[in-house]
Amino acid sequence: MFPAPIERRALPLQWIYKVALPIALLLWLLPLIAVFLTSIRSAGDITAGNYWGWPTSINLIANYTSIFENTPLGKYLFNSFRVAIPTVIGAVAMSCMTGFALAVYQFRSNLLIFFMFIAGNFVPFQILMVPVRDLTLQLGVYNTATGLAMFHIAFQTGFCTLFMRNFIRALPRELIEAARVEGVSEIRIFWFVVLPLMKPAIAALSVLIFTFIWNDYFWATVLTQGVDSQPITAGLYSLNGQWIAAWHLVSAGSIVAAIPPVAMFFLMQKHFIAGLTLGAVK
Amino acid sequence: MKMNIKQLFAALALVAFGGTVSASELIINTDTSDPAPKKAFEDLIEGFKAENPDIEVTWNLFDHEGYKTSIRNFLTADAPDVANWYAGNRMLPYVNAGLFEPINDLWESEGLTESLKSAQSSMTIDGQIWGVPYTYYQWGVYYRKDIFEDLGIAVPTNWDEFQQAGATLIENGVTPITIGTKYLWTAAGVFDYINLRTNGYDFHMSLALGEIPWTDDRVRATMNNWKDIVEAGFFLENHAAYTWQEALAPMVNGEAAMYVMGNFSVAPLREAGLTDDQLGFFQFPTITPGVPVAEEAPTDTVHIPANAKNKENARKFLAYIARADVQTQINATLGQLPINSGSEVADDKFLKAGFEMLSGAEGGIAQFFDRDAPAEFAAEAMQGFQEFMVKPDRLDDILERLEKARQRIYQ
Repeated sequence: MFPAPIERRALPLQWIYKVALPIALLLWLLPLIAVFLTSIRSAGDITAGNYWGWPTSINLIANYTSIFENTPLGKYLFNSFRVAIPTVIGAVAMSCMTGFALAVYQFRSNLLIFFMFIAGNFVPFQILMVPVRDLTLQLGVYNTATGLAMFHIAFQTGFCTLFMRNFIRALPRELIEAARVEGVSEIRIFWFVVLPLMKPAIAALSVLIFTFIWNDYFWATVLTQGVDSQPITAGLYSLNGQWIAAWHLVSAGSIVAAIPPVAMFFLMQKHFIAGLTLGAVK
Repeated sequence: MKMNIKQLFAALALVAFGGTVSASELIINTDTSDPAPKKAFEDLIEGFKAENPDIEVTWNLFDHEGYKTSIRNFLTADAPDVANWYAGNRMLPYVNAGLFEPINDLWESEGLTESLKSAQSSMTIDGQIWGVPYTYYQWGVYYRKDIFEDLGIAVPTNWDEFQQAGATLIENGVTPITIGTKYLWTAAGVFDYINLRTNGYDFHMSLALGEIPWTDDRVRATMNNWKDIVEAGFFLENHAAYTWQEALAPMVNGEAAMYVMGNFSVAPLREAGLTDDQLGFFQFPTITPGVPVAEEAPTDTVHIPANAKNKENARKFLAYIARADVQTQINATLGQLPINSGSEVADDKFLKAGFEMLSGAEGGIAQFFDRDAPAEFAAEAMQGFQEFMVKPDRLDDILERLEKARQRIYQ
């Protein structure tokens, strides 16, 4: 069995392991701990240069209520959902269909189309910055959550198609053929035979895409500006004032912003890990 | 009293016109999104509404950073009736592009040429007045009074005393001046003061307007004064790595004793636990005797965009914000100084000191380097100032470079 359980190792090794593990964990989490500590500090502590010490006063409730009462953080959070949820629905729905088409039907340009979907993933997205911005301007969706979601759907569909096509490929073909013999129409095969079998893939992909989109910063700053459309990753910056960077509020805001994807990960851990390895082994 | 038909119609028309006024609008765009400025504008707009119940006010609040780009958009595309901005050269691009409305008539009719006299020159471009100033704040030296007292240092009033004070602080292991030049503008504050004190206001403004070569001997004199204190180790080490805010920490912890800064630094310093007994303020010391004392006091303003739709209402609002009692109130909330000479200054040690100092500023009032000089040149120059503070030996190269930039940018 690999890896060998630590209990079977020599005693000194076990001891080293037990000491090293918490230290490594602490080091690993240090940045997060620092952000959390900062989020409960007072502004005075930060001005006085007390970045790592124990906070002189614990302002947990004060800071976290203040970001909702005095800043438009709630609006930014709402915008994030307005972008992430339609993207998940759109990209997953489209890729279920493209994946089905590419996996089930043998037509001449099948592989070519499939490769084009994959090739899209290899394009560094930064080079699309200017054309995509101009495109959204001309379509009249610049600086709207709709425009941002539309772009994400278009861009994520490539990766999702790869994922879905491989998943459907791995399903037993006999099921589809049996249905055809029974005279079931193709669309009903997709809806009643294939789609129910894809549930694990849909769940895994939804979790992945939601996390990707939620954490997107680049397109959020390129395609949107201002509190009416910008998601939280880009909006955190506006918690700073004219003169003073309110790091305690920015930290509190960051933690709030991190909660949905982290919660999603823990609640749907099973699907998430399944999603990472799906298609890796057939 | 007899009334003929014509007069009757005129009166009726007036009533009818009055009826339409009740539905009139006023749209205000501001970037006052910090807690205190936000509160100040809320109260301001409430007060205006109470006096003008027939005007429907819409207030769009932008965040400070976003506003800098938004204003270019909305002044041309979808202009509000009132927008806030800054005095001096900061408004020059919009004035030159014809996006602001000159309001000399309002200044005349409301007597602002008297009450706002101190700021009139900074609101004037090409002989026209382009807005109404409502607040400003002083710059100067904020210092740790308790450290000065412990070491027996008196408040320096001239350059020798200042250098002496710094030397005493260094001997006792205290950095004389804290500064964080990561975002460059803090170094410009120091330059402004040394130049204002070495060469005076008129020279400083001509320099900012690109009328004097940077290789001029008078500029060199300023830089040499600066060089003296840089080389003596007056400034915080590694200052280029800190923001102005991070540079507050040494001051709070007593590792540094002075900060050349604007009055907005008082709030965080108090928040960090410094009392008014520990924290003091003094005017930047004189360098060349006889040069009329000028100060730095950036002014915030409101303007009427040229494309505004309800200019009459906008004029009413500007007249309102110019009033003595209104300026007293907003500046009490802002923790800053009113421009109107009839206003009262809030009961605060630093505001009172600042008000007194600015009232005696015979030389003139500068806005700040990046408001007095055009943006492109200011960026170049501030880069140079930072480099100079780290490597004072490169002075000649830096001045040559700035001179080239001047010839390129200002033609």
